[in-house]
Amino acid sequence: MFNELNPLLHQQLRLSVMSLLMNVKEADFTYIREKTGATAGNLSVQINKLAEAEYIQVKKSFKENYPLTTCSVT
Amino acid sequence: MENEKSIMSNEESLRIIRSMIESTKQDLRDNGSWFLLWGWLVFAACILHYTLMGVGYEKPYLAWMLMPIGGVISFIKGLREGKSQKVKTHIDEFMKHVLIAFLVSLFIVLGFMPKLGLSTYPLIMMVYGFWLYISGGVINFRPLRIGGIINWVLAIAAFFVEFELQLVLLGTAVLLGYIIPGYILRNKYNKAVKLNPNSSKESYV
Repeated sequence: MFNELNPLLHQQLRLSVMSLLMNVKEADFTYIREKTGATAGNLSVQINKLAEAEYIQVKKSFKENYPLTTCSVT
Repeated sequence: MENEKSIMSNEESLRIIRSMIESTKQDLRDNGSWFLLWGWLVFAACILHYTLMGVGYEKPYLAWMLMPIGGVISFIKGLREGKSQKVKTHIDEFMKHVLIAFLVSLFIVLGFMPKLGLSTYPLIMMVYGFWLYISGGVINFRPLRIGGIINWVLAIAAFFVEFELQLVLLGTAVLLGYIIPGYILRNKYNKAVKLNPNSSKESYV
């Protein structure tokens, strides 16, 4: 009935990020880090993987002179 | 969290999905501040207008000068909240459009006040009812929905009464539609924050 889940999502942090983003319109990198409890480095790697697979969209901008990364589900 | 863990059991996957859904749910809290701000402002303006009419002041409608003050406060508050917002939910997006629809409807009514005459306040209450009922429905909060219904009922009643009584009805409408639900919402919010202090930082309103 259902297709097999992409192995890319068989990883705790990536699945957490996807579950989180499915529930909201968009979220900042810091918000995702707080919610998942991941380290910034690890989260950054996993977000890039999800973005490469086009599961999520990553928008980079600036907020009060600080870089701001916003993620949303494609 | 581990860097790579290729195989997870179904239970583990479900647990992760559930915990993430729960964690975002806690952020969909409204502390009632917008309802309290506008509720008290409109209520104060009604009382002031009524009192100034009572003492025979020439321009009692100047009481409504409180509204531009509210506009400035809202602008500053909105900017500050926007800056601290780390997440935008689907509800935020939906409510943004409802707010625009509400404000446009309200300004149309206010703009045509001279033409509408005694129908102005009933129409304002009707628009309030629309806003309150939808807000209450979206955040699943019954006192706001009831407040919306009360506003509609008072709007109908206001079509049949004199201007002075319309002021009293409008004051009652904001008291029951904005102020009381606003305090209940604030109470609920404070209780929830006490139980889970971390989630308060990302409250969406």
